[in-house]
Amino acid sequence: METAHKRPNYILIWVYLAVLTAAELALAFELPISRNLKLVLLLFLAIWKAALVGLFFMHLKFERWNLRIMAIIPLPLAVIFILAGMSEHIW
Amino acid sequence: MTHAAATVDQMLPPYPAERGLDVYNKKLGMWVFLASEVMFFAALIGTYIILRFGAPGEWAKPGVVLNIKITAFNTFLLICSSVSMVKAYAAIQDGDPKKMRFWLLMTILGGAAFVGIQVYEYIHLIEHGFLPSGVREGSELAEKVAKGELPAATMGLYGSTFFTMTGFHGFHVTCGVISMAYLYFTKALPGKYSKQDYGGIETVGLYWHFVDLVWIILFTIVYLI
Amino acid sequence: MTSVAATAHGAHAHHDDRSFVRKYIFSTDHKIIGIQFLFVSLFFLLVGGLLAMQMRWQLGFPGKPMPGGGVLPETMAPGGVILPEYYIQLVTMHGTFMVFFAIMPLLVGVFANFLIPLKIGTHDMAFPRINMWSFWTFLIGGLVMLSSLFVPDGAARAGWTMYAPLSARHDYSGASLGQELWSVSIIFVGLSSILGSLNYITTIINNRAPGMTWFRMPLSIWSLFITAILGLLALPVLSGAAIMLLFDQIIGTHFFDPAVGGQALLWQHLFWFFGHPEVYILILPAMGMVSDIISNGSRKPIFGYHSMVFAIVAIAFLGWIVWGHHMFVSGMNPTLGSSFMVSTLVIAVPSAVKTFNWMGTMWRGNLRFHVPMLHAVAFVAMFVIGGLSGIFMAATPVDMFIHDTYFIVAHLHYVLFGGSLFALFGAITYWYPKMFGRMMSEPWGKVHFWLTFIFYNCTFFPMHITGMAGEMRRLYDPNQYTFLQPLQPIRVFISISAFLLFATQLIFFVNFWWSLKQGKRAPQNPWEDNGLEWSLPSPAPHGNWEKVPTVYRGPYEFSSPQSTEDYLPQYTKLPTDREPARAPVAGH
Repeated sequence: METAHKRPNYILIWVYLAVLTAAELALAFELPISRNLKLVLLLFLAIWKAALVGLFFMHLKFERWNLRIMAIIPLPLAVIFILAGMSEHIW
Repeated sequence: MTHAAATVDQMLPPYPAERGLDVYNKKLGMWVFLASEVMFFAALIGTYIILRFGAPGEWAKPGVVLNIKITAFNTFLLICSSVSMVKAYAAIQDGDPKKMRFWLLMTILGGAAFVGIQVYEYIHLIEHGFLPSGVREGSELAEKVAKGELPAATMGLYGSTFFTMTGFHGFHVTCGVISMAYLYFTKALPGKYSKQDYGGIETVGLYWHFVDLVWIILFTIVYLI
Repeated sequence: MTSVAATAHGAHAHHDDRSFVRKYIFSTDHKIIGIQFLFVSLFFLLVGGLLAMQMRWQLGFPGKPMPGGGVLPETMAPGGVILPEYYIQLVTMHGTFMVFFAIMPLLVGVFANFLIPLKIGTHDMAFPRINMWSFWTFLIGGLVMLSSLFVPDGAARAGWTMYAPLSARHDYSGASLGQELWSVSIIFVGLSSILGSLNYITTIINNRAPGMTWFRMPLSIWSLFITAILGLLALPVLSGAAIMLLFDQIIGTHFFDPAVGGQALLWQHLFWFFGHPEVYILILPAMGMVSDIISNGSRKPIFGYHSMVFAIVAIAFLGWIVWGHHMFVSGMNPTLGSSFMVSTLVIAVPSAVKTFNWMGTMWRGNLRFHVPMLHAVAFVAMFVIGGLSGIFMAATPVDMFIHDTYFIVAHLHYVLFGGSLFALFGAITYWYPKMFGRMMSEPWGKVHFWLTFIFYNCTFFPMHITGMAGEMRRLYDPNQYTFLQPLQPIRVFISISAFLLFATQLIFFVNFWWSLKQGKRAPQNPWEDNGLEWSLPSPAPHGNWEKVPTVYRGPYEFSSPQSTEDYLPQYTKLPTDREPARAPVAGH
């Protein structure tokens, strides 16, 4: 097995995730702000949560770069596809 | 081959080696597989985003059709099972198989509960008249559509995308629960994992966290937006 | 990593006591899996060819009863005359079989499985059992697709691209079960490709022999590696799209049906987002194997090895951002169309780099025109023609005119048949001795090559002309348009050439079967090549090596002044060679 890397505080990450989920719920249903701002903030929170899981639970923060690239490569492709598909409706 | 015989034992400096990925096969294979899973969910989620962006009219407001409370609890459950998975991994890394078994069992139970709640949610939704093809005639939801609380034009797309995305996520959770249960009974219980050999736990853990990660995205874009 | 594995596996290498079923049917040996893929996909190649012959009969002799057509049921061809409903099924299934069940498995299934462990020096794939599943899921997919030809309302009939909403609604296409079986089969193909790709990638990254650094890998392995990445990321998109199409067909979702808010264009985006990387899945492995063969046949190192590698990577990267050039006339966003046009034209650069490198390799080489070399040279020539016609349709204004005409059919057959299939004939002949321990017949191989080359060009080159004249593809009877009637003699010429082309392929099949038992026994290194696989006896034994060889140099050291022969294998140690340092890898 590999040499053990520095271990993050998993419980702290769990608290983060729980609090962010609660924040999302409050944002979606309680706060009286505009729909577009809500959309941006909610997406930001979702990506933040996903990044926490990827970096700490999947240990991407502690892996070498060439393994991180493996996880990153599909993301720009997905973004390109979605943007192209969306652009069909704005011209 | 003629030159092989002519080998003279010379002390040559070694040809520089290249570092590999420093990752054992199973783990590398899982990461490669997850890359393809990202593309699979990108197709499903991308379809949802593109269809919703170009939908003929307003989309249903969040919380009208779907039960947010129970799903929020489900989200919390999946986050907890992710933590228990990583605790199992940390335990076996420290060479504590007993603790590892406990946390792995917790993860399996959490995952199974998630699937159970999702099945309950599906039954509930279908009873109310929410189907993959849209809203059932004469159902509770059909009345809401008639009253104008739900947009008639996009309910078909809503049903199609909702059931496809969450259904395939649920399928992935089920696969994860089955493979973790398999590892629990064939590897963890007989004590085959140790401080030196815990590749199976790490690999299935990666899959499990990925499933959790996808749910985090799905919960936000399907239930909250 | 490798030395430990070598001793562990070494004991098994030559004491093969597995039962017949384990050895040849549910085998986990990469070579047997490759050979299983070879037999199955050659069968599907034949099926696809037979479908094409029926199409050519209808186009050359419309309304006349087809010889032997009497065996077809009333719903397909009453009295041997092909019905329009059957013709569109032929078109659809020919494309589907050739792309998904012949060329793709022949290139990736056969040669990635067979060559990767042999050429990088390892005992087997990283995950042999997953590899076995990759074959069996492929076979299930193929059988499902084959069975759809025999269901009551006929096979899928929306073209191999399955454009929605024609494919999504039964009342539009007139076929229900056939369409559904198509979707199910494609989901299996996707699964098979993903399982295969993850195996190839892991094996190449982790299990290379000592000294086999990235830039000592043969170009065939480089191209298979990049192809595996494309397959890994593109096929799940197709699977996802096929799943949504299947849901539209069976549970009434509305993804692709515009009548209820779905988007027909979305299917095209999804399909071609997969489909263009797929185009490179179908050509890159052929390019890699042709590079190996041309270097061998020219007895010269490959010209510009590094630029070849970077060209493969560049093509693969650009392949992701050009899919829209299949949709110029679909009514897509014109701004998007322009950017797709530019990115498509850019792909000509790495493709040209590769072509010039092949020519540079042959330039003043000591050419040996053995059968694989003939096919490889034909590959280069045909790829240039196919590539140049590709530049025509990359330009939006030209594509508007030639879209969905026989010009497209000519182009895609120049790259798929003239490109991939020529390379495949060459590669099969080249590695046949390592697979079966015998040589294919050289004279008959040459006869097959020359006849194929002639009839192939007679078949597909005139399609450029009919295409420019406006003949649409997938058209049941072009004579219903008066402006296409004068082209009928050309269509007859094409059809007769196509029949002869098909007949010529029987030479290959007979040669293949006959050589299995009667061919000349193959020496260890019949082509005097440098790759690691030639250090093994022919056929290569189970487990490959007792102890994996050490690699001392790149794969293309032909005519090296360091050697008395004109080749210098990768595994031969010269006094000046340095032992490779052991890489600090985590291992198995």
